[in-house]
Amino acid sequence: MAPASSSEDSLPVLKILLIGPSGAGKSALLLRYCEDQFDPESTTATIGIDFKTKKLAVRGKAYKLNIFDTAGQERFRTLSTSYYRGAHGVILVYDISNKKSFASMEKWFDEARLNANPDAALYLVGTKLDKVATGGRAVSFEQGKAFAEAQGAEFCEISSKTRENVKRPFVEVVDKIVQKPQLIAGATAGSKSIDFNMGSLPSSPCSC
Amino acid sequence: METLSAETWDTVICGTGLSQSLLALALSRSKKRILHLDANDFYGEHEAALSLQEADAWAHAHAGGDVTHQLDNKPASTNNGNEDIASDGDKFLTAPVLSGKESTLFRNAHVRKHHNAEAQGLSFPRAYSLALAPQIIYTQSKLLSQLVSSKAYRQVEFLAVGSFFVYGTTDAASGTILARIPSSREDVFSAQSIPARSKRALMKFLKFVIDYDSDEHKLVWQARADEPLSEFLIEHFKLDERLQNSTLALTLTLDGKVTVKDGLVTIHRHLTSIGLFGSGFCAVYPKWGGTSEIAQVGCRAGAVGGSTYMLDTPVSMGEADHGGNISLKLSNEVSIRTTTLISSQQTCSTTSPSISRVVAVINSPLQSLFEILAEGAPTPAVAVVAFPSGSLPNNSQSGSDVPVYAFVHSSETGECPSGQSVVYLTMQAAPQSPHVLDMALTALLQAATTTADILYKLYYEQATSSRQPLVTSQGSATVFELPSPSLGLAFDDENLVAVKEAWKIVMKDEALDDAFMKFEDREGMGDDDDDVYD
Repeated sequence: MAPASSSEDSLPVLKILLIGPSGAGKSALLLRYCEDQFDPESTTATIGIDFKTKKLAVRGKAYKLNIFDTAGQERFRTLSTSYYRGAHGVILVYDISNKKSFASMEKWFDEARLNANPDAALYLVGTKLDKVATGGRAVSFEQGKAFAEAQGAEFCEISSKTRENVKRPFVEVVDKIVQKPQLIAGATAGSKSIDFNMGSLPSSPCSC
Repeated sequence: METLSAETWDTVICGTGLSQSLLALALSRSKKRILHLDANDFYGEHEAALSLQEADAWAHAHAGGDVTHQLDNKPASTNNGNEDIASDGDKFLTAPVLSGKESTLFRNAHVRKHHNAEAQGLSFPRAYSLALAPQIIYTQSKLLSQLVSSKAYRQVEFLAVGSFFVYGTTDAASGTILARIPSSREDVFSAQSIPARSKRALMKFLKFVIDYDSDEHKLVWQARADEPLSEFLIEHFKLDERLQNSTLALTLTLDGKVTVKDGLVTIHRHLTSIGLFGSGFCAVYPKWGGTSEIAQVGCRAGAVGGSTYMLDTPVSMGEADHGGNISLKLSNEVSIRTTTLISSQQTCSTTSPSISRVVAVINSPLQSLFEILAEGAPTPAVAVVAFPSGSLPNNSQSGSDVPVYAFVHSSETGECPSGQSVVYLTMQAAPQSPHVLDMALTALLQAATTTADILYKLYYEQATSSRQPLVTSQGSATVFELPSPSLGLAFDDENLVAVKEAWKIVMKDEALDDAFMKFEDREGMGDDDDDVYD
């Protein structure tokens, strides 16, 4: 059953980005959180996912999250400045079983600060928490936590495989965003840009 | 993860200019294996939007006045962060670099900064985004319909282009030297500065243009199609000099010699574009630096479709291999193979016209230029000011009798901090252009505000390649070179023809005309349960 779409369309839209090195598990987190899917065989780069949409209510108010994935543009560090436009929150993702992955996070924080809105909420996530059971941890919780604090970001560790904590980064980043009124002002108010859905489209372009 | 050289790519696209990026968008659902590269460490190539720091470096790289072809043999050392790059020992011939950092299309670039710029308000370099391609896009343009049908428009914020002004003699009624060009019937009727007789003449002309393509009207103009529009306006419509200037300004032609045919086509485009996407504007401009933003969105669509992206990676041509593939050598010594190579032409033809441009950061919002033009219309972020031939004192004296156009961008474009504005002035290139453009800028600032300083100024000249794509075959492989950006002040739909041609070459027999740039939205709703956290 389709719910009343008018009320849903009027929900404030928050743009959340996932960034971090290749293989950190960004897409796995996105798919587990938005669709409760996990494919242990999938190791290839993400194809075909632009962003996923998810509703979330925090402090009694509902929001529509548009969560963007890097589409493989992190591999050679070619994320465009346009990717960061209008982002309310940036979730930086590393793999706790991979030291190199964690070591690259400083550069990712720099890039996020350089390109995103200065008010955007930053959040650090360590993935693959399930690997701890098999002795796979390479970065300690304390290291992650201390680094996040130094960067002024919140922090948690998750496992997309076991679902542990997968909702937490999104809830906490939205909680942080909604405490910054200047940041969400644009999420509800109509901006000055033009809505192509409002006007009629040029029907048959002339063939001259 | 696959290595770059392990497979033969279906296509390698060199350069992330608008045309190549639109091609990337067009191919983004094709399942073709695509490698998309750029020699620069930023997106947009000849249509990039630059921070001040990038603009300084860009001006330095294009400071030369000589049309020389420089080979870019930059070592691979700067491309850090690369993973999984294999290198093999193939030998390559020395060959011109494709889409290298040096291009002959831009020359004589230099930057001037106010001696006290920071104290006068100049912000940090990344607070600015100066567009190398500040073209406006008429709402009738096929570019917009393609961005809509491909759903890419959702990632671009479009702003309204508002008033068109003509700079001229001071008007007694309004006391202003900048006269707004009336663009609709209501506008003409309410314009107090136009005498009644002229109003009738102008209305007659506007009615004629709206229907210029009818058999009845063709009889009037077709025999004179190649004559100057200005004479036609005087003889047939009895437009006075001021209305002539206004009418010619709407054609945005740089040589001041527009023909009847071209003039009618462009004025028709202008008039019929008004109101298409909302009231009060005829053209739009992408926020954050013009077509550069569309290029980035095209590349993102390519990446979402599975294409591999590398910046800061010049490419040179290698030897043809036995299988009829094209070999390419990347700056990091990796060699790759492809069956199709798409790049953009980097050299200008000797007969090519060229333009001179000044991009100036102004420490005033120039608010008076951004009036809302109709009830319910969006606040315009771009204003157009035309300086007709001979309207600037020294212009006609020095023998240059061509118009100058200024596009004024408010801070809503995201190209400068609030309280400031960016002015893009363009004219046909001539030895005295730097001087003429400076005069136009000074005249504009005097007319629009009481106090304003030029904090930062970039000057350059730009030429074009041949307007046709270059197609060459290497055995069964194809090299396709797109034309460089056109010099027009409005986006030219002709560019899209070459993009579609390139698309057909990559798609081969899978190319269905009707399917070009027509895609469904990619995003899907997640499961519908509401998560509630208090």
